[in-house]
Amino acid sequence: MNHSAVDQAQKAIGCAMSRRKFLGCLAASGLLAAFPGALLRPLEARAQGGFQEGLEMFRNACPRNCYDTCSIKTFVKDGVIQYIEGAPESTFTDGGLCVKGYAYTRRPYSPDRVKYPMIQSGRGSGNWKRISWDEALDVIAKKFIEINEKDGSMLGLALSKYSGNFGITNYGVEGMMTSLGYTSRFVGTPCWPAGIDAQNYDLGDMWCNDPEDLVNARYIILWGANPAWNSVHSMKYILEAQDRGAKVVCIDPVFTQTAAKADVYWEVETSMDGALALGMARHILDRELHDREWVRNNSLGFEDFADYLRREVTVDWAAEQSGIPAEQITRVAEEFATAKPASIWIGYGMQRHVNGGASVRSVDALVAMTGNVGKAGGGARYGHLRTWGFNYHALLQKRPEGAVGFLGTGGPMGDFDFTGDVQDEYTDRPLNMNKTAEEILTADDPPVRVLWVSCKNPLSQDFDRNKMVRAFQKPELIVSVEQYFTETVALSDIVLPVTTLFEEWTVNVSYWHYWMSINEQAIKPMYETKSNIEIAAALSKRMNELQPGSCTFPTDIDTKDWLAREFNQGIYDLFGISSWEELKNGPVKAKMHPASWHDLQFGTPSGKYEFRSELCAEHGHQALPKFKEGRKPYDKLRLLTPHTKFGIHSQFVNIDWMEEFNPEPFCYLNPKAASERGIKDGDQVRVFNKIGEVRLEVKLTEVVPPDVVMMYTAWFRNNPYNCQNLVDDEASDMGAYKTGMPGVAIHGQFCDVARA
Amino acid sequence: MECPKTMPLDDESRLTAAVRDFFIAQNAAELRASVAKLPPNWRDERLHDADWEQTEFAFNRLFVGPMALEAPPYASVYLEDEPQVMGKTTMLVRSVYEMIGLVSPWKNTLPDDHISLELDAALALHRMLHAATPSVRGQLQELRVFFLEEHVQVWVPRFCARIEAAPSVTPVLLCMAAALRQWLGTSIARQG
Repeated sequence: MNHSAVDQAQKAIGCAMSRRKFLGCLAASGLLAAFPGALLRPLEARAQGGFQEGLEMFRNACPRNCYDTCSIKTFVKDGVIQYIEGAPESTFTDGGLCVKGYAYTRRPYSPDRVKYPMIQSGRGSGNWKRISWDEALDVIAKKFIEINEKDGSMLGLALSKYSGNFGITNYGVEGMMTSLGYTSRFVGTPCWPAGIDAQNYDLGDMWCNDPEDLVNARYIILWGANPAWNSVHSMKYILEAQDRGAKVVCIDPVFTQTAAKADVYWEVETSMDGALALGMARHILDRELHDREWVRNNSLGFEDFADYLRREVTVDWAAEQSGIPAEQITRVAEEFATAKPASIWIGYGMQRHVNGGASVRSVDALVAMTGNVGKAGGGARYGHLRTWGFNYHALLQKRPEGAVGFLGTGGPMGDFDFTGDVQDEYTDRPLNMNKTAEEILTADDPPVRVLWVSCKNPLSQDFDRNKMVRAFQKPELIVSVEQYFTETVALSDIVLPVTTLFEEWTVNVSYWHYWMSINEQAIKPMYETKSNIEIAAALSKRMNELQPGSCTFPTDIDTKDWLAREFNQGIYDLFGISSWEELKNGPVKAKMHPASWHDLQFGTPSGKYEFRSELCAEHGHQALPKFKEGRKPYDKLRLLTPHTKFGIHSQFVNIDWMEEFNPEPFCYLNPKAASERGIKDGDQVRVFNKIGEVRLEVKLTEVVPPDVVMMYTAWFRNNPYNCQNLVDDEASDMGAYKTGMPGVAIHGQFCDVARA
Repeated sequence: MECPKTMPLDDESRLTAAVRDFFIAQNAAELRASVAKLPPNWRDERLHDADWEQTEFAFNRLFVGPMALEAPPYASVYLEDEPQVMGKTTMLVRSVYEMIGLVSPWKNTLPDDHISLELDAALALHRMLHAATPSVRGQLQELRVFFLEEHVQVWVPRFCARIEAAPSVTPVLLCMAAALRQWLGTSIARQG
């Protein structure tokens, strides 16, 4: 209970007697009985605990697709969140959240939340009816049974899910699909696949040093990463390293907030990162600054790489390609090679190209040839999944007896594919997540009859949005599980309201730092929201009522119990705890060496770092980390659509506190490009290319190069802006090996701009 | 929609209950049923000729979702600087309910300051006062004055204005906004 509210009300009524006495008098007068038809109920004596004055503290964790995966402390009074703060027990979160995180309290309590199951009368009509959970699940279950009977399988049911909620129990969405039979899955990842494959070819896995170990670096290159906006907690380690004397170089086509903090900023020609890295490598080789002993003992194919550099790469060529003057390339190359240890943070931006995997391999090579792999303060840092060894209890469900599926695939079903090694006769049907629109339009035998969307907003985040709008006309039924009315919900038939992090039990780890945080249910689910696994259980109940045995998902679950089932001895040992309950005392950190590959036992076929990867060649790429051309321009300007400070993909920008800072979208244009087009600062412009256009206000700025138009990826609740109108689904070079499908050349896009 | 200045108690209670049930209805049938509960002198023609399915769609656009609400039915939205529920206003309203020994059956899942819960509390106060012994009547009356004049009367007119200006408003919704305004006028007048 809000104490001041009680005070205010009591003061207002001039309450001479105590509340207790007043209630006693009302009771004695026989006035405390419910009236027929009334909504409010008599307050039971035990419910008067509502007047408690103390704050309860719960542990939460930010489950969004973000490096930082913050540990949160949530303070609750009378069942209502009062405020949150970063958990100080995690030295990474260190008691602070980001600007988005502090706005979390707005999410459960926004009046705009999706509150009830609703069904749309005519897809896209905006005519919605409120229905009960039973009614919603009945419609869905009957449709599932119908398509199974029609097709002889559940392959007509497709799941579009990705990174909207990384709480481990949310893999129950995939588990729900498995429990229904063999279904179609949108496989892959839009975010980081080319780099994942590149690191797997070079090192045998994607595994980064502990970010807290950045303080030990004596030289840091931030390459295509903007942690000042997108990993704010990492910045303190970078700044600490700087204070200790480390030089920080930032390489990015855009002068970011991170670049502003660096000692050196290179405005690299977009997609020419590989050329730049190779030019540096050539210079290091020429000066014999590479770590001969490390290379001899721990790598394969270095001489081949050196031959390639001597034969085909010069510093001048690299300067010409990358736009960075040769004398700067040689200076930084020398500094990087001689500062021990030195580290490179490879951002996800630089691999979103048709040559992205090749570029990451070139940067990896630079770190390896200088002997900086396997060392504290060193490393080619990209990401890791080393702390994700949960049971995936929610995910690993049995197929119904006799289920029939897809024949002929066995590849990974995404970057977070934890299905294990079970080999069945059938598999799910993989559809390319990065070509979602195309797959919905063309999948056949059976077509995508039902689309289930959870933890994802394809209309905002997936590519070629005009095609996506057409694709969303095709399925017979589209079900969205959401917290807010997104563009995807607008084109759905049924929306199911899902819980926020405060309303469910789960556990979270990071793909960057080494901490694990429990997520306790801090408040009751608002309105009629349910967690993803509760939805799965309720659906299973209805499926089995209609057709016994049609769904294997348990029909009655407790999210706390399911959280507990995610833990195993391996996780306990890794984190040095004996029970998950210990996480209630605060987040814990994996007992891992701060340096990835510290034992120099690599996961490659040779067990060494592979400058020459035959596996990479087998997969159709170059065996050596050679230069690969970027996408050929098809319009006058390059389009960059990076992340905004005020959101993560399509999340947060719609929250009122974020709107206060960031009320509308802008595009950013260099004054030179603007003057050539007669565009002035603040003009309304049309940004257009072969697949679509957006209209918005332009800001002129020299933080972007003259050949670039930049706009942030975001979903605004009151604005039709969508950068995916301009981003097509051209594939990046790598990603299929470890994530099932290649990535997308998100930054290999072109457009032009004119006054609207 | 003329309304007598001093409505008989039964009619006022019926009006309150009908408006209460309207704003918390879940579908067209419930909307229609709640309107049918209005006292006879409130049976506006527009209510008889309504397209109830269209009314339901519009009702959801204004008060339920899934889109951002055109006229959120929560006091907090109109009384606080930032439109968030479960804050100071919701807690104040909760404390009023608790002072008269009542609690929402949807405590902590539906904001206590939903218009229908507030109308229900007003109705309860009205009835309690009617039956109260002298020992509590004075305080109950003070509480009622506080709740209606310091709280309900501040936000409900803003809520009604929002309904009237809503892009999706329909004749039925306008009619019920008018009923709500009229109820407020009558209730405040009754306070003397």
